[in-house]
Amino acid sequence: MLRFVARRFASLLAVLLAVTALAFGAMNVLGDPLFNVVGFIASVDCDAVEAGLVEDVSGQTAGGRGDCEVIAEARREHHLDRALPVRYGYWLSDIVRGDFGTSFKNELPVSDVLRDKLPKSLLLMGVAQAIAVGVAVPWAVAAAYRAHRSFDRASTVGSFGLLAVPNFALGVILFYLFVVRWQVFDSRYDDTDLASRLRSMVLPGLTLGLPAAAVYQRLLRTDLLTTMQEDFVHMARAKGMSDRWIMFRHVLRPSLFSMVTVFGLSTAGMIGGSLVAEQIFTIPGIGRALVEAVIRDDFPIVLGGVVVVATGFVVVNFVVDLLYSLIDPRVRADD
Amino acid sequence: MSGGTVGTLLEVRDLHTTFSIPAGDVRAVRGVSFDLERGRTLGIVGESGSGKTVLARSIMRLNIGTNVTTTGTATFDGRDVLSLPHAAMQDLWGPEMAMVFQDPMTALNPLVRVGRQLTEHLRHHLGVSKAEADRTAVELLREVRIPEPEARLRAYPHELSGGMRQRVCIAIALACAPSLLFADEPTTALDVTVQHQILNLLGREQADRDMAMVLVTHDLGVVAGRTDETLVMYAGTVVEQAPTRALFADMRHPYSEALLRSIPRTNRPSHTRLAAITGRPPDLIAPPAGCAFSPRCPYAQDRCHEEAPPLAPSGGDASHAFACWTPVGSPEAAESFARNVADGLPSAVAVDLASGGAS
Repeated sequence: MLRFVARRFASLLAVLLAVTALAFGAMNVLGDPLFNVVGFIASVDCDAVEAGLVEDVSGQTAGGRGDCEVIAEARREHHLDRALPVRYGYWLSDIVRGDFGTSFKNELPVSDVLRDKLPKSLLLMGVAQAIAVGVAVPWAVAAAYRAHRSFDRASTVGSFGLLAVPNFALGVILFYLFVVRWQVFDSRYDDTDLASRLRSMVLPGLTLGLPAAAVYQRLLRTDLLTTMQEDFVHMARAKGMSDRWIMFRHVLRPSLFSMVTVFGLSTAGMIGGSLVAEQIFTIPGIGRALVEAVIRDDFPIVLGGVVVVATGFVVVNFVVDLLYSLIDPRVRADD
Repeated sequence: MSGGTVGTLLEVRDLHTTFSIPAGDVRAVRGVSFDLERGRTLGIVGESGSGKTVLARSIMRLNIGTNVTTTGTATFDGRDVLSLPHAAMQDLWGPEMAMVFQDPMTALNPLVRVGRQLTEHLRHHLGVSKAEADRTAVELLREVRIPEPEARLRAYPHELSGGMRQRVCIAIALACAPSLLFADEPTTALDVTVQHQILNLLGREQADRDMAMVLVTHDLGVVAGRTDETLVMYAGTVVEQAPTRALFADMRHPYSEALLRSIPRTNRPSHTRLAAITGRPPDLIAPPAGCAFSPRCPYAQDRCHEEAPPLAPSGGDASHAFACWTPVGSPEAAESFARNVADGLPSAVAVDLASGGAS
């Protein structure tokens, strides 16, 4: 077990290194970090100014000695004069010490921004996954219990329908029905207490959770039907146990593997979906912060967000691996 | 092996089981009838696909799926189980009928501790407390000769060997003291050394508990000396039916004889040709018009291919029935065998070669 955790931890580090290096590289190559720090004067050709080839227009318009000093100062502070891998190294060593840098735009420490936004996004994920699992398990059990009958057929159509609706459309539909039409929920995110926060999470949670529930239902239903063919299920029948007992005590647990695996993987999809859901339902979460930061080329926020999201994804899948061993004693024996 | 209590426990009449698949209707069991007295044992013998397992599962009502049709009657203790509602069956399963499955590796739930698999139906049917059920479970495990039964209750199936698992399965089947036990090839998946132990355990439990038992096997050697009566099945029908002693004393159906001949003998010189049965079992979607065994029978005549022989007793012994036009040992059989060997019929030539080319 210890070896298993150690191995997982090593792979977590490897994933984080790869993801952050990629994000760091992309941000620096595709964007212009200097421009983000100093603004439009970044385009001043300081070599030409130095050589006197260009007229010094300091104080009037861009392109003077003063501007070049600002630029040089910014280069030093942000290590922009160093090679990309070296800059990545500086950035990484800051991260390790818990320093995510400060936002280019409002000078706020990135860690403060993350601390403010992250809990809201985590709550949204939690609500969404709870809805997904809470809907999928009874749904799949009911469908498998009377497989190929009318309820099962109808739920096949229903789940494919849910899967076919893009999440932005689902979000807008829910928003229209429950906020605009029936006015069951407020349009704005309410941060007063946990109850109101949870209430604000219902619609975005459904937006993210229902399509995931459809995926889980398909997988779980199929696995339930496969497990129901197992000898040990015939054995349980031959012992005279009730159908309900057999379903919940013998069939359900061995059938959870695919669903649990996809639960971990779908976390990534949900992070993507949360960008949309947070936008529609005006939740000031990390998804929205990331979208805004990308638009504004706010490197430190984007990179900080990427680190947090990637860590979250790897941690969830680590938990999923632990879940396997919780479900199946034979997995425990292997590690 | 026979028990003291008398009276018919199970009466099966004209049982047919059909599976509808896209290719057609697979007629897995085609008109089987037999009686089983209380406390007695019946062996059902046949090769893979002969319908013996489907027959057992049909009587137990364990063939699930919407594509299975079972007709006929199976009267258990006065009730026709084939027409009982599902809820009534759930009361029979466990305290009245139980089954030991072929493969102990798959018959136990890998995610559930042995203890709960042993006690869940005890508690369900008999309503005993957990502590009491655990005590009974320990008793049962001791009875099926599992060492350290208390510790085994907390084990998962994968922590036990195949033989141990089958002992656990037997303990589970016996837990609610059924009056009828189906043992469906209980030793097929086990090591040869363990097979005898398991069969002896089943025999001992059957005798001690005065329980009726149906032992399904492909091995005639297994039923010999272990069952009171034997049914030999081929292609979904009974081809020979007799008290086991009488059957082995005087085998009349060519298929029974072929089954017996195909058991390897240790007293023969090594490299002796094994008398395998040539050909394949018939297609059960469209079974042959005549005797189903006729295409593989060394004694087959034209009549065998055209007209199905009825299952009927012959001679003085009313308890020994077989379905054959040319029974083993009859002049008709000897005559057609000589002709078939001369014609080079593979089934006859193979038998002739294995017996040393006597004819």
